[in-house]
Amino acid sequence: MMAVSPILDALRQQSRILHMARQALWAHKLRSLFVVAAVALGIASLTVIVAAVDGAERKATEIVRWFGPDAVLVFGGNIESRAVGQRRLTLSYRDAAVLRRSLPGAYLVVPMRVKTNLSVRYRDRVIQVPLVVGATEGYTEAWDWPLDEGRDLSAADLVREAKVALLGDSTARELFGSRSPVGHTVLINQLPVQVVGRLSYRGVVTGSGSIDDRIIMPITTLTQRFNLNRKYFRALRIKFHAPELMAEHVANLRSLLRHLHRLGPGEMDDFTIITADEVLKFLSLFKSGLLLFLGLTALVAMTVGGFVLANLFYLSINERRTEIGLKKALGARNRAILCQVLAEAVCLTLLGALLGMGLGLGLGQLLSRLGLLQILFSWKVFGLAVVAALAIGLLFGLKPARQAAALQPIEVLKDAG
Amino acid sequence: MSGGEPLIRLEQVDKIFLQGELTVEVLKGIDLTVRAGEFIALQGASGSGKSTLMHILGLLDRPSGGRYLLQGRDVAGLTDDQLSELRNRLFGFIFQSFYLIPYVSALENVMLPGLYGATPTRQLRQRAQQLLEQVGLADRMHFRPGQLSGGQQQRVAMARALINDPQLLLADEPTGQLDSATSAGIMDLLREMHRQGRTVILVTHEVEISAAAERIIVLHDGRIANS
Repeated sequence: MMAVSPILDALRQQSRILHMARQALWAHKLRSLFVVAAVALGIASLTVIVAAVDGAERKATEIVRWFGPDAVLVFGGNIESRAVGQRRLTLSYRDAAVLRRSLPGAYLVVPMRVKTNLSVRYRDRVIQVPLVVGATEGYTEAWDWPLDEGRDLSAADLVREAKVALLGDSTARELFGSRSPVGHTVLINQLPVQVVGRLSYRGVVTGSGSIDDRIIMPITTLTQRFNLNRKYFRALRIKFHAPELMAEHVANLRSLLRHLHRLGPGEMDDFTIITADEVLKFLSLFKSGLLLFLGLTALVAMTVGGFVLANLFYLSINERRTEIGLKKALGARNRAILCQVLAEAVCLTLLGALLGMGLGLGLGQLLSRLGLLQILFSWKVFGLAVVAALAIGLLFGLKPARQAAALQPIEVLKDAG
Repeated sequence: MSGGEPLIRLEQVDKIFLQGELTVEVLKGIDLTVRAGEFIALQGASGSGKSTLMHILGLLDRPSGGRYLLQGRDVAGLTDDQLSELRNRLFGFIFQSFYLIPYVSALENVMLPGLYGATPTRQLRQRAQQLLEQVGLADRMHFRPGQLSGGQQQRVAMARALINDPQLLLADEPTGQLDSATSAGIMDLLREMHRQGRTVILVTHEVEISAAAERIIVLHDGRIANS
């Protein structure tokens, strides 16, 4: 009992101080509101930035996983000098054949080309499919994308320019609902095509929509029926053994392609090789850009919040000098005054944090609905907001609180004598 | 406390204020003994140093020289927080301008000094209610100071002064802002508090008011003019 009572006394003291703090805040509603609003804006931007960076991070890992650590994607044309108007169709079927034959370590070479935004019809249902991919057999293996049902494209399909297709999960759902699409015939821009398989659900969201909304056809059929260039295609997917030798694989690929394209020593590549590392680099660049920009915004917003708080508290302390002096005269210790002012500051900043998180959540929802940012909310956001609010309250409240605690009762209780 | 030990003993207390280059001696060699249960009036004109003396007596200010023995103990070496604790436990203050907290009820104003002590809240509240009844404000407990008249506010302040059951009441011009009819009521209350056994020190410039006291100490120019 003897050991417990000082703790109880301290607790009682703190709860009384908290009560006084609440009364004081309520008594000065407008000023409290200003502080809450200022802090809320800071916390809202913090919430959005953390959620956005987390979202970007999740998206990055998703995309990299989807891309695969043992594969590259080669595009015709040089991405870095696209503005120059360089030819983009530079990868030929001959290139693909040579790579298949002679690129060390490569076990799968799949040329690809796409048609975008084709209308697809099944009975009376018509939808727009953003991506129709022409590929060879091995497409599903090249992207580690197993089928849920049906069969894969075969070498025979390619030779025969067969009118067959694989449907992405979303596309299948849109056209067939929960029924199986396999065996049915759909019309792709008037061309009747038989569905032979359905890809499994992938769920990666990229900039241009769901990855599951696509149709895969033999590249020969796509070229023939949609009258595309017969010699060149757009992209090449290559899978390698021994992903730990990726750097060497890429170097081999590059020199082989340069040789095939007869590029001299001073000439730029007329193709672009993308690896998972490359993707990751780009995404982390994007992420750090996001972090820098939004982080600065959040920092500025929170600092402004802090200064608003400090300023209003200085005013408040000044205005309440008599009250504080009186409390000290009546027996409040310095620490009790310090604690009350800090409690007032922290109450307001925590309230601001709550409001700010609400605001940030709303804003984040809006941004992700508009497709501007991928947002991921977690407990981390909540924790960070609370910690930031506490920090603002304590940091910017401390000086006013010290000033209040240092007030001498005699300075303020001056009755005429 | 009995056994002849005085409640307060001032020995040769000086107080000097600095006003720029100038030093102003407000109190000069004050010797004063206050025994438990006395009712003393500190009377003097404006500028006589009576308020400064009251601040020193109430541990709100420190003397520049001399000794202050409170219950036989020199207070010179005590820290601000120790002084706060002594003020809280031993003294009740009544000020000319009441000094109530405007945004809380009369009841909570009365409880205020108790909030810095260890009394459980429920007990504190009961005691505050009793005190408000004693000063005739049973039906005004939940009013804010702004909703009370001057006399009522001073009664709240007096109830507040008693919340920690102090030995000594220090009243600094308690009727200074009140009309004479209201003042009479306040003085009656003060005498009542004295009758209950408390030591009262009243600071005033009015001769009629100090007539209520048993002992009148007249301050003139920083010195005690009678004795």
